[in-house]
Amino acid sequence: MNDKQMARMAHQIQQALLQLRKNRYLEFVRQVNLLAGKFQELLRESRKLGISLSRDWLAATEHCCKGIYRQLSDVMFPVGHLQGLLDRRSKETPQVAAVFAEIKALEAEFGEVEFNDEDNCLSVITEPITLEDVYLGPFRIALCLDHLGELHRQTAYFVTALEPHPAATDEAVTHPHISNEAVREGDGGPAIRAALEAGRLCDFFTLIRSILQTYNPDSPYVSLADWYGVPCYDCGYVMDSDSSYYCSFCENSFCEECTVICASCTETVCKSCAGTCEICEQSICPTCTRVRCSQCESICCQSCLEDGLCPDCKEERDNHEEEPEEKEDKKPESSRPAEATAGGRVVGREPGAADSGVALQSDGLGQTPVLPGPVG
Amino acid sequence: MRVLYINNGGGGWADYIQVPEGQTVERFFAERMPAGKPEDYLIRVNRQPVSRDTVLQENDRVTITPVKVEGAA
Repeated sequence: MNDKQMARMAHQIQQALLQLRKNRYLEFVRQVNLLAGKFQELLRESRKLGISLSRDWLAATEHCCKGIYRQLSDVMFPVGHLQGLLDRRSKETPQVAAVFAEIKALEAEFGEVEFNDEDNCLSVITEPITLEDVYLGPFRIALCLDHLGELHRQTAYFVTALEPHPAATDEAVTHPHISNEAVREGDGGPAIRAALEAGRLCDFFTLIRSILQTYNPDSPYVSLADWYGVPCYDCGYVMDSDSSYYCSFCENSFCEECTVICASCTETVCKSCAGTCEICEQSICPTCTRVRCSQCESICCQSCLEDGLCPDCKEERDNHEEEPEEKEDKKPESSRPAEATAGGRVVGREPGAADSGVALQSDGLGQTPVLPGPVG
Repeated sequence: MRVLYINNGGGGWADYIQVPEGQTVERFFAERMPAGKPEDYLIRVNRQPVSRDTVLQENDRVTITPVKVEGAA
């Protein structure tokens, strides 16, 4: 950029800063009018309060008090906003010569200053940036002159990665503190705005560069430790470490889709390592698959297991315990031979033979009663 | 004598301050940033980088900008 272009640029920047100053005053007027409107409402409510009190309308007085209380809290926000506007107002706009000197200093600091006519942006390019061994490449810091006059409402600059090495989990994050080309200024915010409003371009660009050259591990969009992401061992999906699940059985990381929660102990386990409860078909971890029904040895989760038995075996055992009691109730007083169980059924006397005193063999062993007396 | 001091480490506001005649940039930095290390800052006088033994002059513009600023998310 030659001196003539720089001078033209300096003039443009100075005009944008003048517009910013004017816009700030306009915003100030708007906010003062808003506040004045609130006070008018307060005054009306105050008159009503006086009238209500003079007529001894205490309920109406109380109603007015509540209204005033509500309006007072509405006044607080515009007052704070106004104070902020006054604090940030630029008291003087730099001369074109000062802005020109800033552009010269910028060129000395960054080597080259570019101006893009299409988007009306003044930009510099940083050296390639590497943070904690993660190469992020060089960045273009562009100050958009069209937005400079609106600085009180929106950001006036953006930062573009020229050789993007975005985070594996989010392509919009090209730097731990940049998302969608917008920088989260953190500690540097007030100084950056002050530098821009005062037309201290060199300070503005060097402060942005200082943010790019610094990693704040407490508040990144994506931490550098997770920059390359964690691939799911099963499906290959790349995620950050907070979203990954560790299977302690195969010692690999998995995504949420490829893991299940053990129905017995609630441990997270990958689908390959997980077993299934044969009763409810819920997933269970390898440790809990060792728990089996003590009778049929089927794999059971804790909720399906009762007294060490699966529901089928438990029911069967309960039936065994109940049936003899029922039969016991139907038995006559006289003593009977001991009954036996076979194949889960109670065997003993035939109902019809009970009174005859004829003993029967169990099923399958010949059940024809042999009666005393002549045959044929 | 009076110099314009811009500390970009804080709110970034510029202030005119009084300094003794013949004060060097190194001394100025030590007085203004007692807890800071010079290597952590970009120190410029009248928008130009200077050596530590540069003597400040009346109406000089001294800018101190941190080279590390923590961003956020």
